[in-house]
Amino acid sequence: MKHVLLTAAAAASFASAAPAQEVTLARFFGACEDAGTDTTTSVGEPCIIQSIINAASAEIDGVTVNTLPTDWGNYYDQVKAAFAGGTPPDVFVMHRHRIPEFAGLGALAEISGDLEAAGIDPADWSENALEAVSYEGGIYGVPMDFHANLWHVNMDLMAEAGLVENGEPILPSSPEELMEHAQMVKDATGQDYLAADFAQFPIGVRLVLALMWQQDSNIFSEDGTATINTEAGANAVTAITQLFDAGLANPQLNYADSQQAFLNGEAAVLVNGTWVVDFYAAEAAKEEVGLDNYYAADFPTLFDTGATWADSHMWALPSTIDGETRAAAMKVLAFINDHNIDWARTGHMAVRNSVVESDAYQSLPHRDEYAETAAIAKDTPPSERYGAIQDVLNRELQAIWLTGKPVEAALSDAELEVQDLLDR
Amino acid sequence: MRQGRKSYLSQQQSAWLLLAPFLVTYALFLVYPFFRGIWISLHDWNLLAVAFNPDAKDFIGLRNYERVMWGRNIEWGFTAPLLQGLGLIGLAFTAFLHRTNRLSRFNTIALGIVSLLLVVLPGFHPGEGGRWYDRRFWPTVANTVLFVGLTVPGVTVSALLLAAGMNRETRAMGILRTLFFLSQVLSVTVVTLIWQIMFSPRQGLIANITEVMGGTPINWLTDQQFAMAAIVIATVWWSLGIAMILFLAGLQDISSEIYEAAALDNARGARAFWYITLPNLRRTITLVVVLQIILHFQVFGQSHLMTQGGPNDTTQVLVRYIYQTGFRDSELGRASAMAVFLFVIMGAFSVIQFIIGREKDE
Repeated sequence: MKHVLLTAAAAASFASAAPAQEVTLARFFGACEDAGTDTTTSVGEPCIIQSIINAASAEIDGVTVNTLPTDWGNYYDQVKAAFAGGTPPDVFVMHRHRIPEFAGLGALAEISGDLEAAGIDPADWSENALEAVSYEGGIYGVPMDFHANLWHVNMDLMAEAGLVENGEPILPSSPEELMEHAQMVKDATGQDYLAADFAQFPIGVRLVLALMWQQDSNIFSEDGTATINTEAGANAVTAITQLFDAGLANPQLNYADSQQAFLNGEAAVLVNGTWVVDFYAAEAAKEEVGLDNYYAADFPTLFDTGATWADSHMWALPSTIDGETRAAAMKVLAFINDHNIDWARTGHMAVRNSVVESDAYQSLPHRDEYAETAAIAKDTPPSERYGAIQDVLNRELQAIWLTGKPVEAALSDAELEVQDLLDR
Repeated sequence: MRQGRKSYLSQQQSAWLLLAPFLVTYALFLVYPFFRGIWISLHDWNLLAVAFNPDAKDFIGLRNYERVMWGRNIEWGFTAPLLQGLGLIGLAFTAFLHRTNRLSRFNTIALGIVSLLLVVLPGFHPGEGGRWYDRRFWPTVANTVLFVGLTVPGVTVSALLLAAGMNRETRAMGILRTLFFLSQVLSVTVVTLIWQIMFSPRQGLIANITEVMGGTPINWLTDQQFAMAAIVIATVWWSLGIAMILFLAGLQDISSEIYEAAALDNARGARAFWYITLPNLRRTITLVVVLQIILHFQVFGQSHLMTQGGPNDTTQVLVRYIYQTGFRDSELGRASAMAVFLFVIMGAFSVIQFIIGREKDE
C-alpha cells in the first residue's frame, strides 16, 4: 500500500504541470486491497486485474485511472443505471454476450479507427477473439480472454477410486459411465463425486447447456424459437439429477460452499470456470488445505460432440466518449492488451496469437491439461435478453433439483418463459 | 411592539415562507418522481434506449398493467378452497360481530374488506388454454405478502416481550436496551452478511450448534422449506429495535398506579400484562403493526443478497422483481407499472393508519 501511495504521490507531483487525464474504470472480478503495480506476481482474478490497472495508472504519462466499486452481483445493473443517468464510466469490462444488448442500442463506441493510434494490433487477435468483439461489421471492444467451464479434479480422490491413468484422470464418456465413476468414488472414499453451484450462481445452467450442445441441440434457435422441452434437454438434466438421486452429489451447495467442499477434499470434481485455476493451484500447495493434488481437466464429452460453456471478457468505451478522454481511455485499453499474458495467469485463455504461441503462456501451470477447451468452447445464440434467459433456466433447473419439480414440467415452463422473453 | 413598521410578514406569509423549503424539496424529490413514475408506466420504455434517444418510447396506455397483472382466458371460480374458505368464514364472522355490536365501525369495514379480498383475489385463474401473461408476478406478490405476514407478527411479539421485560430503570436493562437496539443501526448489507455466515451450512454458528446436538446442518438459504424463514429471521433481528423503543415509550405512559391497583386485586406478572399492559398499549401496537407492514412490503436487500430470490423463486419479492425488470431487463415501463401496484398496497395501509390515528378512544 505504501508503495502505491508513493507511486501515486510521485505521479501527482510530476503531473502537476499538465493535469493528468482521469479515466474512470468499471469492472467486476471483486476487490483487491493491496494489488500493487507488479503485474507479474499477483494471484487470482481480482488482484491480477487490479495490479494491471494500477500499473497503467502509474506508467501511462498523463493518465490516472480511478477504479469504481468492483462487485459482480449487480454489475450490469450499475453500468446501465450509469448510462441512463448520463455518467457512464470511461472504460468498462463486459462479456461478449452483452454486446447485442449494449451495441444494439448505440451504447458502445466503435473503436476500429482508434486501435492503431493507441498501439493495438487487431491482427494479433485470434479469429474468435475478433469475432467476440465485433457487431454488425464494427469493433466494439478490446478482447481480454476466453473463459470456459472446466472440471477441476482432486487427483488423490480419483486415484483412490482407481480413476487415474498415466497421471491423468479418467473422466466419463457417457451418462452411464458418469454414474459408475461417481459410485466408484463414493465406495472408495465416501466422498461426493461432483460438486458445483447448483443453488445460486448459474453454474448448473452452464452444465446443462453444455450437455445439450453435446447432443447438437440448443435452448433456442437463431430465429427465436425456444427449444428446451426436448429429448436432448431431458437427457442433459437427467444426466445430472441421477447423481443427486443416488446421493453422489449435493445440489444445495452454493458457489462458496461447493468451492469449499472441493478444497476440503469432500468432492472429487468441481465444475467451475477457468478463472480459478491459479487460485486452486495456490490453495492445493498449502499445507492446511484438504486438496493436495490438483488437475484442471477439459469438460468431458458425455454425448456425441465436445462442448463446454464459454464466454469472453472484453473492454469497451461508451459511445459518448470523445476528445482527450477517449485517447486516454484507449491508452488504458492498449496497456491491458499488452498485459494479456499476465491476465492469462488466472487460468483464462489468451486472445492474442503472439501470447498463445509464447513459451511463457504454454508453460503456465496446468495449461496443458485443458488444452482442448478452446476447441469445444460454445455459447447460446446472441440475444438482447441473455441475462433474463439465464435467470429463467436457473430458476427452473433449481426447481428440479432443489424442490423436486418434475423434469418435464420444469422444461416446458422454461420453454414458455424463454419464448415470452424472445417474443418481447 | 413598535408602531409604524409595516414590513412584518403576516402570519400566513411567514407560514408559507417557512414551509417553502420543505414544499420545494417534497415536490421535487417526491411528488414529481411519483407522477413521472406513473407517466413512465404508460409507456413501452427501455432504460438504455431512452438514455440514448429520448424518442425511443411508445405510449401504450394501460398495456403494461395488463401484461403484468392479467392474462389470456382468465376466469373466476372457487379454485383456492383454503384461502377462499377462510375469506368466507371471515365474512360470516364479520357479519356476526357486527350484529352483536362487538366491533367498531372501522374494524367491521377493515375485516370485511380483507375477507372479501380473500374470497375474490385467489379465485382468478387461467381457464382452458389460457395463461397469465406474466407468470411470475402474482406468485411474487404472494411471496411478499407471506414475508410481511411472518415478519410483522414476529417483530411485534418479540419487541413487545423484550420491551416488557426491559422496562426497568436499572443499569443492566439500560445496557440491554442499547444492545437490542444496535442491530437497527446496521445497513442491510451488513445484516445480510452476518446472517449469511450464521446460516452457512459449513462454517455457520447455527450449523455448528446443530452438529453439536447431533443433527445434520440445514442449508437454510437454498432449501425451499427454510429460505423464507431464514430471511424472516434475519429481518426480525434487524428491525426489532424501533418497535421495541416505541413499545418502551408506550409502557412508560402507563401510570404505575394502575399496576398498584391491579396488584391489590391480585393481578401481577402475566395477568397484569394481559389485563393492564396490553389494553393500554393498544394504540402503540396498532402503530407498530401498520408501520411495519408498510416498511416490510418494501423488502429487497434480504431477498436480493441472501437468497437471490431462490430457490425456485420462493423468496422472490416485489421490489426485487421491479428492480430486475427495470435494470436487468431494461423494461422501465413495466417495472413502473409494478411499482404503482406496490404504491396502491402501501397507500391503502397508510390510509388505515391515518384513520386509526384519528379515531377517538372508545
